[in-house]
Amino acid sequence: MSEPLHLAPRLEPRLAALLDSPAFLHPLVTALGSPLNLVLPDQIADNVRGFRDVYARHRLTGRVLFAHKANRSSALVRRLAATGPDAAVGIDVASLGELRHALGAGLTPDRIVATGPKDPDYLWLAARTGVTVAVDSPAELTALAALVERFGLPRVPVLPRLSGFTAPGTRVLTRRSRFGTPADDAGTLLDLVEKHRDGVEFTGVSYHLDTMALAEKAAALEGCLRVLDEARRRGLRPRAVDVGGGFGVDYLADGAQWERYTTELTRALLGRRAPLTWEGHGYGLRAENGTLRGSLGVYPAHRPVSGARYLDELLAQTAPSLGRPLATLLLENLYDLHTEPGRALTDQCGLTLARVLEVRVTEAGERLVRLAANARDIGLEDHGLLLDPVLVPGAPGGPGRDGPPVGAYLLGNLCLESDLISRRLVFLEHEPHPGDLLAFANTAGYFMDFTADHALHQPIARKVAVYRDGDGGAWNWCLDEQYWPHLTAGDDE
Amino acid sequence: MRYEHITDAIGDTPLVRVDPEVHGLRHIDLYAKLEMLNPFGSVKDRAAWRMAQPHLADAARHGRTVVELSSGNTAKALAVIAGMHGLPFRSVTNRMKVPEIKDLLLLLGAEIEELPGQAECLDPTATEDPLTRIHRMLTEDDGRYLHTDQYYNPANAEAHASGTGPEIIKDLGGTAPDWFVACVGTAGSSTGTARALRAHDPATRVVGLVARKGDFVPGIRDTDEVHEVGLFDPETYDTLESVSADEAIDGMLTLVRRCGILGGPTGGAAYFGAVRHLRERDAELAAAGDGRRGTAVFIVCDRVESYMSYVRQRRPELLRRPPRPNSPATLTPRELAAVHVIGVEEARAWIATERPVVVDLRGTFAFAALHIEGSVNIVDELFEELLHGGLPFGRSQPVLLVCPVGEQSVTYAALLTRMGHRNVRSLAGGVIAWRDAGAPMVRD
Repeated sequence: MSEPLHLAPRLEPRLAALLDSPAFLHPLVTALGSPLNLVLPDQIADNVRGFRDVYARHRLTGRVLFAHKANRSSALVRRLAATGPDAAVGIDVASLGELRHALGAGLTPDRIVATGPKDPDYLWLAARTGVTVAVDSPAELTALAALVERFGLPRVPVLPRLSGFTAPGTRVLTRRSRFGTPADDAGTLLDLVEKHRDGVEFTGVSYHLDTMALAEKAAALEGCLRVLDEARRRGLRPRAVDVGGGFGVDYLADGAQWERYTTELTRALLGRRAPLTWEGHGYGLRAENGTLRGSLGVYPAHRPVSGARYLDELLAQTAPSLGRPLATLLLENLYDLHTEPGRALTDQCGLTLARVLEVRVTEAGERLVRLAANARDIGLEDHGLLLDPVLVPGAPGGPGRDGPPVGAYLLGNLCLESDLISRRLVFLEHEPHPGDLLAFANTAGYFMDFTADHALHQPIARKVAVYRDGDGGAWNWCLDEQYWPHLTAGDDE
Repeated sequence: MRYEHITDAIGDTPLVRVDPEVHGLRHIDLYAKLEMLNPFGSVKDRAAWRMAQPHLADAARHGRTVVELSSGNTAKALAVIAGMHGLPFRSVTNRMKVPEIKDLLLLLGAEIEELPGQAECLDPTATEDPLTRIHRMLTEDDGRYLHTDQYYNPANAEAHASGTGPEIIKDLGGTAPDWFVACVGTAGSSTGTARALRAHDPATRVVGLVARKGDFVPGIRDTDEVHEVGLFDPETYDTLESVSADEAIDGMLTLVRRCGILGGPTGGAAYFGAVRHLRERDAELAAAGDGRRGTAVFIVCDRVESYMSYVRQRRPELLRRPPRPNSPATLTPRELAAVHVIGVEEARAWIATERPVVVDLRGTFAFAALHIEGSVNIVDELFEELLHGGLPFGRSQPVLLVCPVGEQSVTYAALLTRMGHRNVRSLAGGVIAWRDAGAPMVRD
């Protein structure tokens, strides 16, 4: 085979140290089974600091709200609940279950924003506990106000979600969203806010755009500022803009690997080199008469401008019609900035381990590695994340241990043709053997438990929280639901 | 020269020899084909006219909109052509990276639709990219649109096979050049010109230039993107080489500063790529020592003027300006520390007793929303501009400077003091502290 086309994961010190501890990892999988998810609660507290630094640089105040849907872990949420007041951390919940979980983890209502599609139960608990409600539509605002009146509840803070912003000059064909009130209908929304003054307290507006393009977000933020100005004109006292999430993660250590790989993938699809994917899968690209059609539908795994840096760049954007930097506009209009990072806040916060069950080489020379885990346990394919797992060898010795890197397709444990953990030919440091572990790094954001289920009575991964005393101390672990912040010796501040 | 129609002025562009003193090739004559001198400003005038012209009358009769996926020169040429014939023009693009071109297109009456950025949450069921979808919409619904389809339309390449190529042969005294160097965007100009040159002399070698992967050179596809172009056929090129944005700007600098050719970065990339490729060939000719000379032609695609922001972003030092007087950047920590800073209570008392001019440095939008009663709004950037000229107040007129958090106000207070002002103070903590202290603010 030609030179291996590695896509090596980016590993920051804490995650790298954990991966470098095979004597700790192997017994864990022996005891708790494969697959196994590990989360690193102390890392999420560090990640908050990265966001706070950006706030400080722009002199902005406001909350960093963890988008809970990225991971169901209790340990991560409880750890966030334990951060100090300076961190101004909160949580963005999107279901009744997440709201209960957040309250039970010790997050007080002033630190919770309830978003997403809401059923009556969810809306009631949100209203009763007095969390901030990111109301999705005028109808939801009316329903909320009705609940408050009927049960004589205190006023509920609301942060209506807007969508469908327009910018001057050119028309951006922004993807349609199923959420939020169109910005053009904000007047109706404000009428309702005024009508239900006794039931709801208008604290600001929010948006969440599913795009990586900064210009679209700049237009949305400016649109929010205009709506808030109208609110002020009506005598309301808004204090915040919530810009949602979508800050992204840089999954790869080396941008050159990404450039090389995507070029070679193009060549492979055009038939100019050996295949790099299972059955010529193109991740959205296809060859037609020697021309490439479609577009590469994968996560841009190398993203140097992601997470807190992406926020920094967004704030530095100039508002399309007001003509000043967004950070300046927020500051001089006296607004708090709320952000809802999910994936970005769970960056480097976990990994998924799976045991190698079988290694087989087909007649065509393809190496197939079957794992005790499936594509729903490790959601790489769902999000188009192309990444090599890290080999954590079991017993020493065996053929190929000192050999060169090898390419392999990863098969799952479901009796299903489509159950490939990666359709990409991944590259391992050397020949794997049954009993070895493959570690999928950085899976805490969306790749860990978002789609896992009990199909075919296969087990769902257990989740454990791992932590260590000080930087060089021994690794400790407990089941995720057993983790409480007092276990961690480390301190944030 | 007299023309009945401006479109008659498309083509027949000059072929200009580049001074060997500039490029340093001793055995090769290098010529620039000045496509920038086409009437609408670029090489794309040829293709745009060729693709649109046969369909214009029909489109006008049925009230069709001219549509193209373009972020630059093709859109520009089509906007003009559509406008001349009373047709609306719409440009759909995800590559609108040069703000001047965007503004120019709007000025020409074009409607621009920009494709959204990639989704952060990938939806694996959305198998089709927006570009393909729009492409399909246009081809299916041809009742409403005249889609010129520059990436697939053979007329794009034909415009050059019948125009650019033969012109080069004629201007070289009936011979084809030994080398033809062109940047690959839609592949129209390189494919068409190469076809004509090779038909005349199969020995002509064609050098295609693409942008280095992940780098942006206007009008050029990068190493991977080029495979998405229908007209692109790897067989056209004897070699494909890549050029970085930096190299394109270097080439452009040589053209504009040394050659009197006011070409843009695409032409700069072609010049840079041509000289780089030809240096070794030049050495081979020198080594052969038989006195044989070679000829090479590259295309200067468009003009430099639209790319100021492109240059400013990548090479700001090229647009240097002399330092201006009274600039905040020159303040010392000692000057900043010496500023008279007062808190909200003290400021309110001072306003009541001495009636200083209260200058609010925030933007007009924020000022209009809420401000300290009686204050004057001079936006920070305007204030800085004013100070370059001198003091905008009498030296002893009391002044209170106000900004969001009390940082800029300290800076400008220090600057005023340095300029000789005797009674300027800065509001500690700015408007935010004022609000948090519960002091009154008004809205007009």
